[in-house]
Amino acid sequence: MVVSPAVGYHRKDVCLRILSLFYQPQNIEEALRIRGEMGVDVTPLGGGTDIIVALNRSAAGAKHYLDLTHVEGYSDVRRDNGDWRLSAGASFSQLGRLPVRALAEASMTVGGPAIRNRGTIAGNLGTASPAGDGCVALMAIDATVELGHASRGKRVIPIDEYFTGFRQTALLEDELITSVSIPADWQTTWYKIGKRGSINISLVCCAVGLSPKGDVRIAFGCVAPTVIRAKSAEAIIEKGGFSEEAVEAAAQAAMKEVAPIDDHRASAAYKQAMCGVLARRLLGEMSKSQNVKTSKE
Amino acid sequence: MKRRSDQISAGSVTDVTTQPVTRPLVDPSKTPYKEEPKGPVGRSERRIDGREKVTGTALYGADLFPNRADYFAQVVRSEIAHGNIISIHKEKSLQVPGMIAVYSAGDMPGTNRQGLIHRDHPVLVENRILFRGDAIAIVVAETESAAVSGCEAVEVNYEELPVVATMDDALAEGAPRLHPDGNIMGGKRIRKGDADAALGESDVIVSETFVTQTVDHAFLDLEAGIAHWDGEFLTIHASGQWAHEERRLTSLALGLPMEAVRIITPATGGAFGGREDISIQIYLGMVALHHPGKTIAMRYSREESMRARHKRHSLRIHYTLGAKQDGTLTAAKITVYSEEGAYASTGPAVLRKAASHSTGPYRIPNVYVDVYGVFTNNNPTGAMRGFGACQMAIAYEGMVDRLAERLGMDRIELRRKNLIRNGDAVTTGQRIPVVTATDCIDAALQQFEAKKLADKPLTPYQRRGWGLSVICFGLGYGDGFPDASRATVRFNAEGRLEVYTGGVEYGQGLLNMAGQIAAEELGMPFEQVDVVWADTGRTQESGSSSATRQTYFTGNAVKIAASELREEVLDIAGKLLNVHPHELDLTDGDIKGRFDPSIVLPIGNILKAGRERGYELEGTGIFKPRTVCEDFDTGQSPRAFITYLFASHIAQVVVDIETGEVRVERYVACHDVGKAINPQSVEGQMIGGATQGIGMALMEEVVMQDGRMMNPNFTDYILPTFRDVPEIETIILENDDPGGPFGARGVGEPPLIAATPAVLNAIGHAVGSMPHTTPCTPQRIWELLNPHEAGIPYDARLARAPLHARLTK
Repeated sequence: MVVSPAVGYHRKDVCLRILSLFYQPQNIEEALRIRGEMGVDVTPLGGGTDIIVALNRSAAGAKHYLDLTHVEGYSDVRRDNGDWRLSAGASFSQLGRLPVRALAEASMTVGGPAIRNRGTIAGNLGTASPAGDGCVALMAIDATVELGHASRGKRVIPIDEYFTGFRQTALLEDELITSVSIPADWQTTWYKIGKRGSINISLVCCAVGLSPKGDVRIAFGCVAPTVIRAKSAEAIIEKGGFSEEAVEAAAQAAMKEVAPIDDHRASAAYKQAMCGVLARRLLGEMSKSQNVKTSKE
Repeated sequence: MKRRSDQISAGSVTDVTTQPVTRPLVDPSKTPYKEEPKGPVGRSERRIDGREKVTGTALYGADLFPNRADYFAQVVRSEIAHGNIISIHKEKSLQVPGMIAVYSAGDMPGTNRQGLIHRDHPVLVENRILFRGDAIAIVVAETESAAVSGCEAVEVNYEELPVVATMDDALAEGAPRLHPDGNIMGGKRIRKGDADAALGESDVIVSETFVTQTVDHAFLDLEAGIAHWDGEFLTIHASGQWAHEERRLTSLALGLPMEAVRIITPATGGAFGGREDISIQIYLGMVALHHPGKTIAMRYSREESMRARHKRHSLRIHYTLGAKQDGTLTAAKITVYSEEGAYASTGPAVLRKAASHSTGPYRIPNVYVDVYGVFTNNNPTGAMRGFGACQMAIAYEGMVDRLAERLGMDRIELRRKNLIRNGDAVTTGQRIPVVTATDCIDAALQQFEAKKLADKPLTPYQRRGWGLSVICFGLGYGDGFPDASRATVRFNAEGRLEVYTGGVEYGQGLLNMAGQIAAEELGMPFEQVDVVWADTGRTQESGSSSATRQTYFTGNAVKIAASELREEVLDIAGKLLNVHPHELDLTDGDIKGRFDPSIVLPIGNILKAGRERGYELEGTGIFKPRTVCEDFDTGQSPRAFITYLFASHIAQVVVDIETGEVRVERYVACHDVGKAINPQSVEGQMIGGATQGIGMALMEEVVMQDGRMMNPNFTDYILPTFRDVPEIETIILENDDPGGPFGARGVGEPPLIAATPAVLNAIGHAVGSMPHTTPCTPQRIWELLNPHEAGIPYDARLARAPLHARLTK
């Protein structure tokens, strides 16, 4: 199958300009082989909710496309011992039904129903936008990302090491994201501030996770070049528990740790203040919803 | 054949054209002549265009071209906000396969000018670029993608000039001159009484500065169309809002006689004033003239549409309101700076409307208003639903709530005390015979109280509040503008009733309005009515579909035309039956005897007989009431607007005082529309307008940075969704307008005008601090509540030195 680089309009000459190749492998081995051979020349395509928008905005687009939607097991979500194993193509609609609160709620705030049916977790990770709601939720539960390669095999990296810079990730140009694993037994909470009630881009979003062992994760979106964790704030809670003082100290620490910028969506001052508000609110919520308030030690 | 509007008074006691404003008032609902409609008027008849639109067979601008276009055109737009064109290089573009030609200003056969009020806007820039959407050239290609590629390959060399990004930049000393007369477009003044003296004597004075945002129309159906020049006639099918004006502007810019241009408006999805300035018609026409016999097509993408189109004026309003201790308003002093952008567009009219609506429905004896338009290098600003009146409603309704707080008075009581009553004058000195503002407030409050839901419990950081707005709105262009509408009603060969109007149907329900009035007047079943609209080859000028004017103006024109046709039909029937025509009636498509029930004659027989006797079976109506220009020095006029509308909205909101998020929980909208010709359409307008007003209050904003639009797409230009708008509880009041068709006034713009202040007042009530900048995004609410933490004054734009000081220097 072949598409023109200028998708978006119904055009008379759509067949005249064959510039892009459109691969549609049926299994993961073939997908990895194509990606391994072509590298950056081929752009992996899942739901297309980022790529098609980019394509509509600029005539250039990618050179070739690797459509993963026909890969066997593309959108599986299954329980794997104590973990949830999400295949690359697990859609936000699917994730919205998971009993992992932060991820489910984050997924349900992404776009409208049509976008949630198309958009995938691997797409969210691949785009690696600092406003990626799914990424923030994954960050708060110590998810691991499995990257596959045709010959080298797969490697599993913690999500914390996955994001390397603004829209930069640890994914190599000949690899594909094959799956994401998240623990099933963490407690999580989530909040997103946007300008409207749905189909919303985050102004600031925050997810908090608490492992059965007492590990605390506080993750933010939109306040740094990547989705980030407020590690000093996490340490304060892990040490001092969910006491009011500790929560307040953690909120203050979180505000210092983030580095938002002024943009057309909101000012840096507002985003920074909101990190404090959300950390305080979500940590407070968590302290109420669970009994284990003891520190890690 | 033609009737003047004064003949409309057959069914009502007042004569709209010559009625002296001081005439003793008559309650129109009690007039003995009032005839209750028996037919489709007042019923929610099925929409004439409904089936086509719901089933997808209606042809919108972009549906016209897949099979019909030979060539595709695309506009090359400026990549800088301010500068001069040094040279345009077309060679590379012409090398793109499929490219045919590139045209620039020199290839324009006519004046190359556009603009609804001042012809200050070049269709293709000759030399000076004034904003980042200015059109530089048009490329023509065999395919649309070749046109896109060709467009990108046109090289333009610019000499960049300093960008005038804000009104402050424009008025700064040594600012570049954007237009020959300087950076101030002109203005509007109202002098009524002595506001300075009255403020000095007031017990309480409240002052505030409001800043409203730039808003995009965001209609769904993007600009698109086709054109064809056969050597004699230029035919253009393109979405628009005023076909006859588009013809005028196209013929002028292209140097063609008006008779040679035919504009046909296809199905159009929304306008909101955004199609009032001409869009693609002239480009299409120009290319067609260069390629006789070929059908030319073009369309905008969302981004191009947003970059090229005019916007709603961003206003900075300095408002001072004085009152006595008992709450009686004594004086208002208002200075408004209005961002005009690069060209005048409809700006001068918007400024006038803002001035004449600056104090709303309140009785204030002393009013000084000064409105200035300021040019910048941003998008031109012009018509949009509300047209200056909605920004002013934010200010006057905000001021009344502030005053109530200062005086410790109830907000509603303060309003009731100061609202104009029957026969009182608004700011322009025009006396309003029937004022129903209090009726609107009462009905809205009753609904709000009666159905009060058990309030959902709030979290510690949430606050709940409600706000009310009451507004008045003068409909029509007003201000002495020769506003008129024409219509023709005729029976065709099959006996169906055909209504011809130049007005544009873009979703608001014009076809049903015109069709239902004609069917009512002629006693025809509504199913037998067809409406032909907005085709300059077949219909007469009916003015624009804007200013809330079509029901009043075209409705009256249709009614006049239909009643003429009715008399003709009865006349023929009388001769045929040998009865006096007055003894006959036309109902359900039959001629019936008023007194003799045995007389029943199908209308078809009459039509046949009429034709045999040489009758045309056609009626034409012109409705052309007079309005009086506002005095230049004082802004006073006995009749600046043809009639006034009243409305009151109530919004209940929950505000998160930590994050600044606002949720509208409940919404009541009450409008006095005179008579709802089609109640469902009226409700649709109320719901749509309130939704748009909520958007303006909370989220919609075009962000400009150094002349560059930062959000020309729906990812970042945030519109309200279903989640943001609760059920709009609508209340329609029907207090007949003495001059409207069947008493109808109109409904188009007021729902938006009343909505924004209702939401803002609700926020103020909830958090105890009144917002003064729109939209109230989470960030703005947070800044309102945490001015110190924000590290900046409430709004950076307010911090600068007041512009007024510079102007008066």
